[in-house]
This record gives sequence, structure tokens and C-alpha cells, in this order.
Amino acid sequence: MKFKTLLMLAALVLFLALPQLITVKYYLHLCILALIWVIMAQGQNLIQGYTGYVSIVQAGFMGIGAYSSALMGSHFGLPVGMTIILAPLVTAVFALVAGYPSLRVKGHYFAIVTLAFNMVIFIVLLNFTHLTNGEAGISGIHKPGYGRGAMIDFYDRQVYYYFVLAIAVLMTTLAAVIVRSRIGQILLAIRQNEDLVASVGVAAWRYKLFAFVISAMFAGLAGALYAHYQSFINPEIFGVAQSMDAILAVIIGGSGTLTGPVIGAFFVVFLPEYLRFADSFRLILYGLILVLATIFMPRGIVGLARDLGTRFGGRK
Amino acid sequence: MHTDVLEVDGLCKSFGGVKALRDLSFTIRQNEVLGLIGPNGSGKSTTVNMLSGAMPPTSGQLRLGGVRVEGLNQWDRVAMGLTRTYQTASVFPEFTVREHVMLGCEARRTVSPVAHAFRLRRNRAEDRQMQERVDQALELTGLTGDRDTIVGVLSAAQQRFLMIATALASSPRVILLDEPAAGMISHERETLAGMIGRIRDAGISVLVIEHHMALIMEVCDRIVVLNFGAPIAQGTPAEIRGNRAVIDAYLGEAV
Repeated sequence: MKFKTLLMLAALVLFLALPQLITVKYYLHLCILALIWVIMAQGQNLIQGYTGYVSIVQAGFMGIGAYSSALMGSHFGLPVGMTIILAPLVTAVFALVAGYPSLRVKGHYFAIVTLAFNMVIFIVLLNFTHLTNGEAGISGIHKPGYGRGAMIDFYDRQVYYYFVLAIAVLMTTLAAVIVRSRIGQILLAIRQNEDLVASVGVAAWRYKLFAFVISAMFAGLAGALYAHYQSFINPEIFGVAQSMDAILAVIIGGSGTLTGPVIGAFFVVFLPEYLRFADSFRLILYGLILVLATIFMPRGIVGLARDLGTRFGGRK
Repeated sequence: MHTDVLEVDGLCKSFGGVKALRDLSFTIRQNEVLGLIGPNGSGKSTTVNMLSGAMPPTSGQLRLGGVRVEGLNQWDRVAMGLTRTYQTASVFPEFTVREHVMLGCEARRTVSPVAHAFRLRRNRAEDRQMQERVDQALELTGLTGDRDTIVGVLSAAQQRFLMIATALASSPRVILLDEPAAGMISHERETLAGMIGRIRDAGISVLVIEHHMALIMEVCDRIVVLNFGAPIAQGTPAEIRGNRAVIDAYLGEAV
């Protein structure tokens, strides 16, 4: 337990020192994206890792968060700080509407329903040009503190890094509070034996819906942070492929653990970059690594580390 | 007040053209162990599924403490004090025994899990109360020594006792045991028989479905016999043992 706390502190120090250690600006950019993906993956982990329901709509919800935050800013002139807070709430409404019917089906059927929902979101973003500007997307999205002579300059990459880091830590803590509570126990129970949950006296559907909506809110927040960081969004990155990345981040990192999504998020952001040397073989290599990882590390990097820890250190 | 804790009145169930259960009526009284026996396919499990709310009846009424419950969800019935176990060991294998039984308390919690998670309401008293309830359930089922064991590694019999402990944690008025002794060896059955007796002594009514006749005759105060979806006899173990129709349909001469 103490070792774990030490490890967490070390990780936090590393994250705090990272901008000073990184010399190439592009890597700092990737780190910011990875931290945004940490929030995505923590959300995905709640529904996929803890509740046992693979949802294929996380990127779609990210899109809803990104567009709603950007549009609330440009249409109603709301300050960016406020739209970032409102974006997850807007996403929650969509998740509630989508989740209520789709959580009535179980297992693979749920995955398919959410996949369809992601496709619908994508198509709407693409074709509702009046609002979303279609494929061309929305550009010139402001950063927090825009136009108020802010004390903190969010246009500075380092500043945005710390801003996203703080939120990622906060959201990971929130995920920890949820999974360590009675809610977390019920979610784990649903994953293990859903039919039994009802006969134990718990209305499983409420908790499934809760996990689904909360996971969508994580994605919505990540989307808002992404939009204001990149200043530009278009439908392309909110498609099914990115939802798959969210699923992979959870699996590769270690599903049903709190550290897993953090590691997995950095993995899915950095791996494709490191594979650039392979040029056109990049995607093939990426796919191969993922297949091998799932076969040989079914419990992800965290699971592997735990096994090694038990074997060599006698630690649990 | 009502000494009849659970009243079953004219319960029927059809699956398409098949009448699985026809006009079943019986009551379970306070502090009573009622046996439900009959050949395979006679409608015993269907009855338990309808009582617990896993399956809606085609017609008929169920009253728990005088309140109609046939339209309620499974979890609402548990909250009202009607709980069950399953024929095959159905558990949450990754939990510890204590965590597993603690989940049984959920139906009786007053503080919502969300408020509990974010410590919005004081709930230490309730937590302590639930902890005590878990301890009692473990004690009654002989699992106290295994409280920190992972459920998946328990023996089949222990998993069955765990199902009973989890059901007890919800402070039931009636507990429905669906073939609790299936697959048990003789000393485990004896433990189970003692357990059922103690559950009754704790003021909880028990409905038990079982094929093991010695166990049924030992623990039951009264027995209802089903055959082809219809009740053919009700009475004390002695009466049932001597009932001609029951002997022909189910028991055979040897008992």
C-alpha cells in the first residue's frame, strides 16, 4: 500500500516536471493530447472496465462535448471556462437519451447500439452544416480567459498542459471515489453476474445508466478541452475509429484499474507517432502490436506489472 | 396482524399453450418452514420465479404482509422482505465473502449510494448497522472464518451458504430457497438443515424447494406437493408421507 502511494507521488512529480524535461515542443503537444485522452479513457473504463459493458460511442460523446463547448461560446458568447463546465452536462443529456433504450439490451447488442449511436453523431456533425459547418469544421475556437486580459495565458502550451493535468488528476480522483464506493461495488457486481444483482435487491439498470452517463460526461469534458486546445474541430476525429482507441486505451492499460487508463491513454497517443518511421506500414504495425498486446497481456500493462510484482517482490 | 406472511392466491402460468402452473394457492406463516415438492417439471421453479419477481404470473395474486406484490420488480420485493436463492450456485466470484454479503444490504439502505460516495450525508450509524447485519448473516451461515476469502475459491456448498447469507443481509421476512441442497454431501446437508432451523428461529419464514426427501421431512413444518403444474396435496410431513396421491405421483413406496 505504501509502495503504491510512493509510486503515485513519483508519477505526479514526473507529470509536473514533464514540460521542463521535454525539449521538443511537439512532444509537449502530444502530452497534452494524452492527458485529454486520460480523461476519455477514465470515463470509458467506468462503463467498460468496471461495469463490463463495452461502449463504442466515447469519441461521439467527445464530439458532442467539443462542439457544444465551441458553439456555446460562439453563439451565446459564454466565457470559455463556463462552456467547458457546461459541455459535459450537455453530453450527459445526450447520453441519458441514448443510454435509456440501449441499456435494455445486454452484452454485444449494447456494443452494437452504441456503435450505431456514434455513427449517428458523426453523420449529424457532418451534415448539419448549418450548425457544425460540416466537414470544414469550426476554427478559431477561443482558449480559456479569451478577451478578458487574463492573468494566465492559456495560449502558452505549458500553461495549457498544467491546466489539463489538473483536470485529468481531478477526474481520475473522481473515478477513484466512484469505484471505491458502494456504486463501484454494484458496478463490479453487474460485471460479474448481472442477473443476480436484481435478486440481491438492486435495480441494476439505474447503475448501468449512471455509469454510462458519467462516462459520457468524462468524454464530453475531454472533448471541450480538446476543442479549446486545438482551436479547430471537425467531425473526422469523433468517429468510430477513435471510439475504438478509447476501448484499446482501457484494454492495453488494464481495464478495471485506475492506473490502466492513464498508461493506455499515453499509449494510444504516442504509439502511432513512434511508428511514423514505418511510413505506410504504420497502421499494419499498429494493428499487430495491438493484437499481440491483447493476446499476451489480456489484463493490460497494469495486470502485467502486478504479475511481475507478485512474482519477484512477493507483493500483491 | 397478519400471521400469514406470504399469501399465494390462484397463481397460474402459461408458456404459450403449455400450462406450467394451474391455480396454486398456499400461505406461508410467520416462523414457518414450508416445503414445495414435486417431480421435475411440476412447476416448482416456475413458482419461485414468480414469487421472486423474475417472471410475471399469467394470473393470480401474491400478497406479502397483506400488500399485493405481483406487479413489483424483483428489487422492490427484496426491499419489502421477499428474497431468494438459486438452484445453481449464482454468486459474484471476484468479491470477498464480506463484500458479497454486504451487497445484500443495499436493498435496506436509506442513504443513496451517490450521497454515500461523496459523503454528502452522515451515515456512520447506518454503515455500522449494516456491518452488524453482515456479521450476523455470516455467523448464521458459518462463514465467519471465510469472511476475507475470495468467493470464487469457496466450495460449491459454501457458495450456496453464501447465497443464503447474502439473502439474509437484506433482512427478509420470507426467504425462498430453490434446491439449496443440490449437490451437497450428507454432512453439508445436515449443516443446511440446522441453518434453516436457525433462520426460522430468527423470525424469518422459509419456502424451500428440494428433492432430498429426508431433508424436507426434517426441516419443514408443512409441505405443498405439485404435480403437472397443479397442487395435489398440502399438509404436515407426516400427512404428506401417508398421502396416497403423493406416493403415487412422487414419493413412491419406499419412503
